Amino acid sequence: MSANEPGDSSEFSANEENGSERDRLISQALADYLDRLSADEFVDADAFCRQHPEIAMELRPLLRSLNKMDEFAETSTGIGRLDEDEPLPEKLSGHKILGVIGAGGMGRVLLGYDEGLGRRVAIKMLGARYRNNESLRTRFMQEARALAKISHPNIVQIFSLGQASEPPHFVMELVEGTSLVEAARPLTYRQKAELMRKVALAVDFLHEHHILHRDLKPTNILVRPDLQPRILDFGLARELDNLSTRVTQPGEIMGTPDYFSPEHTAPGVHLDPRSDVFSLGTIFYELLTGSLPFHAETFAELARCIRQEAPLLPRRINRQIPGELQDICLKALEKKPEDRYPSAKAMAEDIDRFLAGEKVHASPTAYSSLMLGKIEKHLAELNGWLEDRIISDQEYDALRKNYGRLIERDDSWILNARRLSLPQVSLYLGAWILVIGAAFLFLFEFSALPRVSIVASVGIVSALTARRGLRLWKAGQLRIGIAYLLAFSLLLPIALLVLFDEYHLLAKVAANPDWELLGKLSDKFKQTTNAQMWWAVFLSLPGYFWLRRFTRSSVFALVLSVMTAWLYIVTLLRMGLLEWFDSDPGWFYYRLIPIALLFFVTAVALERLQLTNDSRYVYPLAVFFAFVALSGLAASHKPYQEWLERTFPWTRGQLEYLFIGNAAVYFVLQWICERLSSPQMRVVAKAFRFAVPGHVLTSVALLELAAIDRWHHKTGDLALKHEARLFEYLLPLLAIVFVYASIWKQMKNYFVVGILYLAVALILLQTDRFEGLARLSIFLLLLGTAAMYGATRYSPIKMALARLIRPPL
Amino acid sequence: MASPTSTFGLVERFKNGDTGAFSQLFQLYYRRLAVSVYYRMSTEMRAVNEVDDILQEVFLSASRSMDQFTYRSPGSFMAWLLHIAEHVIIDSARHQNREKRRAQEIVRFRSESNPTGPDPVDSNTPSRLFAQQEALQLLLKKLDALPPDYRQVILLAKFEGLTTQEVAAQMGKSRETVALLLHRAVKRFREMEPGRPADERQ
Repeated sequence: MSANEPGDSSEFSANEENGSERDRLISQALADYLDRLSADEFVDADAFCRQHPEIAMELRPLLRSLNKMDEFAETSTGIGRLDEDEPLPEKLSGHKILGVIGAGGMGRVLLGYDEGLGRRVAIKMLGARYRNNESLRTRFMQEARALAKISHPNIVQIFSLGQASEPPHFVMELVEGTSLVEAARPLTYRQKAELMRKVALAVDFLHEHHILHRDLKPTNILVRPDLQPRILDFGLARELDNLSTRVTQPGEIMGTPDYFSPEHTAPGVHLDPRSDVFSLGTIFYELLTGSLPFHAETFAELARCIRQEAPLLPRRINRQIPGELQDICLKALEKKPEDRYPSAKAMAEDIDRFLAGEKVHASPTAYSSLMLGKIEKHLAELNGWLEDRIISDQEYDALRKNYGRLIERDDSWILNARRLSLPQVSLYLGAWILVIGAAFLFLFEFSALPRVSIVASVGIVSALTARRGLRLWKAGQLRIGIAYLLAFSLLLPIALLVLFDEYHLLAKVAANPDWELLGKLSDKFKQTTNAQMWWAVFLSLPGYFWLRRFTRSSVFALVLSVMTAWLYIVTLLRMGLLEWFDSDPGWFYYRLIPIALLFFVTAVALERLQLTNDSRYVYPLAVFFAFVALSGLAASHKPYQEWLERTFPWTRGQLEYLFIGNAAVYFVLQWICERLSSPQMRVVAKAFRFAVPGHVLTSVALLELAAIDRWHHKTGDLALKHEARLFEYLLPLLAIVFVYASIWKQMKNYFVVGILYLAVALILLQTDRFEGLARLSIFLLLLGTAAMYGATRYSPIKMALARLIRPPL
Repeated sequence: MASPTSTFGLVERFKNGDTGAFSQLFQLYYRRLAVSVYYRMSTEMRAVNEVDDILQEVFLSASRSMDQFTYRSPGSFMAWLLHIAEHVIIDSARHQNREKRRAQEIVRFRSESNPTGPDPVDSNTPSRLFAQQEALQLLLKKLDALPPDYRQVILLAKFEGLTTQEVAAQMGKSRETVALLLHRAVKRFREMEPGRPADERQ
C-alpha cells in the first residue's frame, strides 16, 4: 500500500518554490486532463497519473479535487455528517488520528497512523449516537470479530479490536482504491469479468467461513490500481453459525436496497449465500451496463421491482457485452434462489469458463420467460391462422414444434449438449468407452479375474457414475450431468447382468438351449440366459422411470421406451422366438403385432395424460414394429399366402398382392390416426402415408414384370396377354394418380415415387407393347406439351370448362 | 462511438424512450449546471430563488425538448443546457418583481402530490436530494471564497466544460497561462478542504 496521499498543502508550496518547470508540467497535464473531460471522454484519474509518473504525486490529489467538484453526492454521507460535530479522538488503540476518510452506515472511518510500525491504517468507529444502542454495538463488534477470523488477499484485513475503555472501534488495513464501478469503467469486458471473478471468489471465501456479507455493493468493494479488489464494510455481515442472535430489529431492513436480493426485501426471510450471489449479479450488471438493473423512486417500489420485474437485458443496453457474460449476470439475478448459482464459487467458475473461451453453464430462465410472453401471443395467432387456412396443418405443426422447443425450460442446455465441441465429444466418448468396458466384462469370460472383483468393479463404476451424475445435475450442470446419467442408465443393466452371471443367478437355461440368444450368436460369449437378460432389463426399468421423474429430461423417456421394447423382444426370446425364426418366421412376425399394438395403446394413453414428451418416443417404436410385423408377415407367413391363393385364385398367391394389402392397411391406419388428430398422431399418420406409394407401385411393377414374363413364355394364352396388358397400363395410371395425390397432404414422396414409377412404366410400355413404334414417344411429346400449356393457362381453361358444364344464364 | 453512458449515448437512449437515461444525464450534469446557474444569477436573485428551482425547470424543459437537441460536439449538450438555463433565469428574473409563482403553477417532477409528473432521478429519495443540496452549498461556499480569476477559470474549464483553448480565447490569455492559472486555482481550492484525503471512503 503506497501512501501517496499528501497530508496537507505545505508540500505543495515547497514544490512551487522548487521550480516552475515542474509546475508547468503539472499545469499542462491538468489542462490536458480537463480537455479530455471536455471532449466527453471518460478518463481514469489513476491511469492518467500513471502516464505521468514523474508528477503523479502532485497530480493525483489535484485530479481528485477536480473530480469531486461535480460528483453527485452519495446518500450514505448523511449520517457521517451528523457526526461531524463530534471532535475526533486524539488516539485510538494507540494510533494517532489524522482525519476522516469517510462515513459508513454506522459511523465514521478515520485515518490513523501507527507510529510504531510507521504505517497508516483505517479505523472504523461507531457513531456517537449509536454507542448507547446495545444491539448496534453488538453488531458492530460482531462485524469486527467475523472479519478478524479470516485472511484473504481480496478481503480487507483487520488488525485489532478496540478496548472497552475507548469508543467502540476496530483497526483495519487502509485500502487505497476506487469503487468497483468507477474502477471498471475504462476496462474491457474481459477485464471486468476477471475483476468480478476475483470478487466472487472472495465472497465465496466469506461464505466458506460462514459469513454472509449482506451488503455487497460497488462502494464496498475498492479496486486498487493493480486491479486487485478488496471487499470491505461488513456492516451487515453476520456469522451464519450465529443465527439465533438477532442484530436487526424485527421488520427492520439494513443496507443499500439497490443491491438487495428479492428475499432480502422481505423482512424475516432467512438469507443464505445465494442472497449475496444476487447482489453479485446486481454489481456485475452495473459493471457491464453502467446502470443498475432495478430503478425506483421509493423503497417499496424498488422492493417490488427487485421481486418481480425482469431487468432489461444487458445486451439491449450495449450490444458489445458478450452474450456469455449476460448469461452469467442474469443467472445470478434469478428471482428464485434455487435458480441462481448455488454459490459464489459456481459463479466464479462460470466466469472462468468465459475467460477460457469455453461455453458457460449459465442458462438463465429470464430468456424463456421473456420468450414465453411473446410466443404465447404468437401461438394464439397461429391458431387463428390455421383456422383461416393461411397456413397448412404441416406448417402449423412445424411452427408449434419449434416454439415448443423454445418454451421448454431445459432446452437451452439440450441444444448445448447437441453442439459438438471438444469437451462435449470427449465426454460422450468417455461415457461410451466406459460402457463398452463394462459390457466386455459381462460378455466375455475372464478366468484370471476373481468374480468378486469383476462384480465389484462394474458395480463401483456404475455407482460412482450415478452419484457424480446426480451431484452434477443438482449443482445445475445439466449438460455434463446428463452424460453421466445416460452412461449409468446403460451401466445399470450391465451391472445386474454381471452380478447374475458371476453368481449363477437365474442361470437355468431355457427348455430348448437353441433359444438362448447370446450363446447362439457366438461361442466366445459367456453363457448369459434370456432369463438373466429379462430380469436385468426389468429391474432397470424402475431406475429409468425414476431418472425420468428426477431429471424431467425426455432423454430418459427415450431410454425407457427403447428398453421396454427390448424387454418385449427378450420376452419373445424366452417364448422361443429364435425357433420360430428358423422354422416359421411368419409366426415370429405375427407375434410382433401385439407388441406394436401395445406400444400404440401406451403412446395414446401417455399422450392423453398430457405426457407428450414421453409419448413422443413410444410412437416411433409402435410404427417401427407395425412396419416390421406387417412386412414380415407378407413376405414370409405361409398360412397367409395359402389363404390368399385359396380365396383369390387369380392372385396365384403372389406376395405383391399381400404388400398391396399392407399398403391398404397403412392407408386405413393413417386415416384413423388423422381422425385422432393430435400433433404427434399427425406425425404417425404421415409415417404410414409415406409407405403407401412405394408399397403399391413397387408391387404393381413387380406383378407387371412377372405377368409379362409369363405371357412371353406362353404367347398363345390370351388371358395371360390381357393380364400383362392390364398391368402395363395400370402402372403408369397409378403413378400419375400418386403424382396428383401428392397435392393432398403435401406428400412430396408421392410425387417423387410417382414420377419415378411413371418413367419405369413408360419404359416397360415402350419395350413391350410399343416395341419398335414411335407412336408412344410422339404421344408423350404432345401430352407433355399439352399438360404444360394447360398448367400455364390453368385459370382460363378452368373457367371455360365451368362454362361448358354449367352455361351462364 | 457511443458508449451508452457517454452524454451522446444517454441522449440517444432518452430519445428512444429510456427514461432512466435522463436520470443519469441529470446526475451527470446536476452539479456542473448548478454551479454554472448559481454564478449566472444576480445576488438579489440568489436571495429569492433557490438554485434547485431553476435547475428543476431547466431539466424539465430539457426533457421536454430533447428531440430538438442534436449532438454536434462533446460540449454541445452542456452548452444547450446553459442556453436553456439562461432563458429560465431571465424568465424568473422577470417574475421576481411580481409575486413569486405559486407552487402548483410550476410543473414539478413526480411526487406523491403530483403522481403524473416526470421522474426526477431514479432511486433518489428526498433525503438523498437533501444531501445533494448540502454538498452543493458546501461547494459554492468554497468557490465563493476563491479569488475571482481562479473561480472563473474553474467555472469555465470544469463546470461549463469548455476546452482550455476556448477558455484561453474567452479570457484573452494563452493556453499555457490558463493551464498555470488552473493549476493554482485547483491547488487553492484544495487547500480549503479541511485537511483530509476526502475521497477515500472506507
